[in-house]
Amino acid sequence: MEWWFSMEVLFMQDILVVDHLLKRFGGFTAVDGISFAVKKGEIVGLLGPNGAGKTTTIFMLLDFVAPTSGDIEIFGLHYKTHRGEILQRLNYSSTYVEMVPRLTVWENLLVMANLYLIQNPKEKIWETVHRFGVAEFVNKRYEDLSQGQKTRVFLCKAFLNDPDLLLLDEPTASLDPDVAALIRKEILIAREHGMTILITSHNMAEVEEVCDRVLFINHGIIVAEDTPEELAKKVRQIRVNFMMKDGQKRTMSFARTSGFPATADGRFVTISVDEADIAYLLSGMAELGVEYGEISIDKPTLEDYFIKMSHVGGRT
Amino acid sequence: MNWRRIRAIIQKFWYSTRRDIFRLFDIFFWPVIELFIWGIFSVFLSKSQVDGVNLVTMLLGGIVLWSFFTRASKDISLAMIDELWSRNFINLFSTPVTMAEYVVGALIVGFMKLIVSMILMFLLAYVFYGFHISSIGFYIIPSALGITVFGWTLSMVVQACFLRYGHTIEVFIWAVAALVQPFSCIFYPLSALPGWAQTIARMLPTTYFFENMRSMMTGRGIHVGEIVLAYGLNLLYLLLAIVFLNRSFEHARKNGNLVKNN
Repeated sequence: MEWWFSMEVLFMQDILVVDHLLKRFGGFTAVDGISFAVKKGEIVGLLGPNGAGKTTTIFMLLDFVAPTSGDIEIFGLHYKTHRGEILQRLNYSSTYVEMVPRLTVWENLLVMANLYLIQNPKEKIWETVHRFGVAEFVNKRYEDLSQGQKTRVFLCKAFLNDPDLLLLDEPTASLDPDVAALIRKEILIAREHGMTILITSHNMAEVEEVCDRVLFINHGIIVAEDTPEELAKKVRQIRVNFMMKDGQKRTMSFARTSGFPATADGRFVTISVDEADIAYLLSGMAELGVEYGEISIDKPTLEDYFIKMSHVGGRT
Repeated sequence: MNWRRIRAIIQKFWYSTRRDIFRLFDIFFWPVIELFIWGIFSVFLSKSQVDGVNLVTMLLGGIVLWSFFTRASKDISLAMIDELWSRNFINLFSTPVTMAEYVVGALIVGFMKLIVSMILMFLLAYVFYGFHISSIGFYIIPSALGITVFGWTLSMVVQACFLRYGHTIEVFIWAVAALVQPFSCIFYPLSALPGWAQTIARMLPTTYFFENMRSMMTGRGIHVGEIVLAYGLNLLYLLLAIVFLNRSFEHARKNGNLVKNN
């Protein structure tokens, strides 16, 4: 089954192909010759610290910023000759842009539906506002909405034209956890219907949940590309938590002399070690005769990888 | 009241003013323009042989026609800047809408607003000053249209500058009408201008429309050749403005201004 699945992915059509994309603003290189492809139905996360080049990349994919060199192919088409066709099948949502403040939610969405030449726009808007829990404030002015409500309205806009490619910039920022969960559910449903999604997010748990693949970008270059699980595995440092009964000082001293970072909080001690050193740590503690009531191990997550990679610039 | 805090506020204005050439406009540009227009008008009045009634009619005719220009000169630039102020620009242009579609839409809205405000203006001018549209006659159609088109042209130029230079250019939206006004001979004839200013005035389509308005009102008729010349200039400037706007849009895409200004 897995073999068939990977073969299926292999032969899937590339919806987005980015080839040696470079963007320079004067002497500053924002994006440094990145290349990647996104296949139909894939959800790909574009991660990286602030200023890494994510937003510039997204804006180049939307044709707002002209690349210095390199090539972008969306649906096998280029902006230079097929801007209208590409944007008709694409949509975008970001926490950092707004709709017209004086217009109601309904009016804003109706304008958008008409710009996308949507058939039966009113029906489509109703369907979308119910889907994202926006129906109850559809007659409110956009400027009177909370940030969370605005984000939901923007997601309605993003799904209005049933895009083949959706670019989501921080889609669940400012949302309550239950609404964020609803959005993630909708993203996964959209993928089942064949939608391709490129997503940026600072919520690593979210990326782990929805993304098939992650591109980690830093200083304008892609420093890593893999599944969220495989990227997390690249962080070998794990945290071992103890609830101490006896020998807390000896444990901290042992950790220090062994070169393991350790913190103590009341009766709880956390020691960070390389996976390979767990046996050494536990046997050393046993030799010291320390006693602990509970032990738990925190495996590395994508967030750990994010933190690690945000502080280095090199490729993995 | 704390003087140190007041000094800090003054400091803030000083820093922002000295780094922004367009804020300096407020200090130097407007007084010069006012002096120029009303100075020339006063000289014209002192030498003029026109009787009082005709003078008032000519002034009102000038004001009415000029309002077509002031309105049109803001149509596109204000519409676009409104998108940027409300941070809706990226939202809008990430759809398949083209710049040409946007400009045409903004012009249609501008034209409808223009008609409504013109009807109101003609009514008020008639009620309060007895100014009747018949004093301009059918000439109102080609002159108002020509003046409006030139206003739109300059509005496009301002928008193009905005795309290139960002928010600092905003003051130009309101200044552009005043920039053209002294040379358009709205309230005084071309001959009242000094030589160097006449050269500039002859390059503006608006000059010919206002000159012919006065000519018509004083019973000397219209010079068709001048109207044709004015439309020729209008067409030339409109084409140049469209090219400039397109190039500026591309320039803004290259240097990131398109998203920086949002």
